[in-house]
Amino acid sequence: MLYRTAGQFKTSYRADHALFPVRQDAWLLGAILVLALFVFPLTANEFVFRALLIPVLIYALAALGLNILTGYAGQLSLGTGAFMGVGAYACYKLTTIFPDLNLIVAIALSGFVSAAVGIVFGLPSLRIKGFYLAIATLAAQFFLVWLFDKWTWLYNDNASGAIQVPTVAMFGVPIAGPNATAIVQYYVVLAIVGAITFFCINITRGRIGREWKAVRDMDIAAELVGINLMKSKLSAFAVSSYVVGVAGALFVFLWRGAAEPTAFDIPLSFRVLFIAIIGGLGSILGNFLGAVLIVALPVVISALPASFGLPIASATVEHLNTMTIGALIILFLIVEPHGLARFWTTIREKLIMWPFPH
Amino acid sequence: MRLFGRMMLAAAGIGLALATTAHAEDSITVTNLSYRTGPFAATGTPVMNGQRDYITMLNLRDGGVNGVKINYEECETGYNTEKGAECYEKTKASSIVTQPWSTGITLQVLPKSNVDKVPILAPGYGFSPMADGRVFTWAFNPPATYWDGASMILKAISEGNLDNLKGKKIVLLHLDAPYGKEPIPLLHMYAEKHGFTLLPIPVGVKEMQNQSAQWLQIRRERPDFVLMWGWGAMNAGALTEAVKTKFPMDKFIGIWWSGSDADLKAVGEAAKGYRSISWSFPVSDSQTMKDIKQLVVDAGNSLLPPNEFDYVFYQRGVVISMFVVEGIKAAQKHFDTKVVNAEQLRWGLENLNLDEKHLASIGMEGMVPPFSTSCTNHAGHSGAWMLQWDGSKFVKASELLKADEDMIAPLADAEAKKYAEANAPWPLNPGCGG
Repeated sequence: MLYRTAGQFKTSYRADHALFPVRQDAWLLGAILVLALFVFPLTANEFVFRALLIPVLIYALAALGLNILTGYAGQLSLGTGAFMGVGAYACYKLTTIFPDLNLIVAIALSGFVSAAVGIVFGLPSLRIKGFYLAIATLAAQFFLVWLFDKWTWLYNDNASGAIQVPTVAMFGVPIAGPNATAIVQYYVVLAIVGAITFFCINITRGRIGREWKAVRDMDIAAELVGINLMKSKLSAFAVSSYVVGVAGALFVFLWRGAAEPTAFDIPLSFRVLFIAIIGGLGSILGNFLGAVLIVALPVVISALPASFGLPIASATVEHLNTMTIGALIILFLIVEPHGLARFWTTIREKLIMWPFPH
Repeated sequence: MRLFGRMMLAAAGIGLALATTAHAEDSITVTNLSYRTGPFAATGTPVMNGQRDYITMLNLRDGGVNGVKINYEECETGYNTEKGAECYEKTKASSIVTQPWSTGITLQVLPKSNVDKVPILAPGYGFSPMADGRVFTWAFNPPATYWDGASMILKAISEGNLDNLKGKKIVLLHLDAPYGKEPIPLLHMYAEKHGFTLLPIPVGVKEMQNQSAQWLQIRRERPDFVLMWGWGAMNAGALTEAVKTKFPMDKFIGIWWSGSDADLKAVGEAAKGYRSISWSFPVSDSQTMKDIKQLVVDAGNSLLPPNEFDYVFYQRGVVISMFVVEGIKAAQKHFDTKVVNAEQLRWGLENLNLDEKHLASIGMEGMVPPFSTSCTNHAGHSGAWMLQWDGSKFVKASELLKADEDMIAPLADAEAKKYAEANAPWPLNPGCGG
């Protein structure tokens, strides 16, 4: 009843190809946007911004980048953390070499550095597939993190070996560094993540996205129908690494404020891969759902006992947290192996038919 | 029925929480970003136990500090920088001090301390130039920095005259992280000045437990001394390899975080002669420790496992909590108030005066060298003792050593300036004429 599609007639191809052919989907998105644009900022405190909203958006963006490569183009990658690092270090160098550069421009440019590195490490994908490619991207992971540590020019030879974000202002308002307020950073992150998500939805719906899917499903068949495999695979690596690089720059500049090379080590790659897999490979929405489960839920769980006044030691809460999240991941994967996005699709289909299922 | 019982418990919990907030007026919250879980838990847990037990003892014995109860709270980070930042955001409103417990977390919260105005207390760790109070208004690393440690170790192995090291070869076996790389610039300066060869050998976080490659290199190089900047599982790994390759233990010296009793107990008699520089020493018959034993440990209020009471790391935790408490006391006296806030505690930590007499009056003589802080000097540079493993415990093996500040100060100055420039606009300490 809520999702009744009866009566919504499409009278043109244009209407049929619209982003939201079903009106209720558009309303739902509108409601979420109102929530994200007005309700959260008005109600959230600094902790909610810094520990829940901003990280969820940034991780969702990183997972979105990985999802383009793995979910849409079928190229398994374990190097996401390192590509995030490339974005972060590129942005750091850009802002320190050109202090007057607008930060948004610097973030957008650092994505291109990451895309270039992604293409280089994507070259093996032209000859190897599957697990073998995963190992090749693992090599990128180890090599790049080693490079972040050893190439002192990357962190301006400072004694701590870490990159530190100075205060960066735009139109007189600090948006990065210690003086930036959480609400400003949230809006900047939301705008960038929103813009890139919109771009990704459209690219995956169009010709390029269809080529990627064809390559994913069977590359020989794709080649036979005239798709250029090299172009298709490398463009997937480029777009994916661009998005991941931007996520990495946001990760350091608008959230953490400082990062050492180990922050981009393999656990980060796995975390982003988990978000993409649990959210659902080959979907855009899934990345956001996965990020909520993997990034936000542990924070909420660890805050629960204290807010109920239960005297449980902090270390015990951490153990409980790990167990709960682990159990939930297994549960979701058993109930719906295709991820949370598919879960939502099923619910939506049931809602469309409700209350008269056939 | 059980569910109902649990709901009752939760309801009682909420009631309790409300009841405690009603009395929050006369208590002070001190939060510790602890790591009792994760790969470094072995090093963290004993120190956290010590920190917790000292405050518990004060609350039980004296009802807090000058009548104000201290809430000791922990926020678990598992030594993970992301969790650390989350804990910092969660606790910065309620806690009057941040104890970040990891160089990575310290670097993240250091720039924020100027904005949020919460002092950072990083005793014996963190970024060595933080000692410069003119630049780092809100950061404190008493009683000694890693550079002090490096200087004192060199003094000890050269028997007081650094020129004795001429022509010698010294290996620095260090964790390949900001922490482990900390002493390298200073040691290079010493190597140039006094004509010894310095060879840093990094140990990656992933190879902490298997250091055969590093020790093969050490065997080939035949160094005169091996210095170690190790953490967590790396210490035990290095000691095991040293025993296996029969490296003479009296030429193997660690920084204060490489002197955990638990690591050395694992190798026991074979590690006899190993030394570790330390700014704290366990004195189990001091008044404070006797009170902790009686009121906290024996009464079952501690998380301490049996037989760990005499451990260096446990009693170091006690000393660290004492720094916070003495800072609170100094602030209470100066501002003539009972409930100290973060800004007042900053003044307190800047004006610590822990001389022999004062340490005796709080029942902690011999547990930490006397020192005092000031607005230019946020570390105190107390000096330290060389401890030596006698096969079953650590014993004092030297008089109090002092670091060579003539050598360290110019480097600290330069690095602090560099940090402030890189993070401009960086506010300097207003009370310091900086």
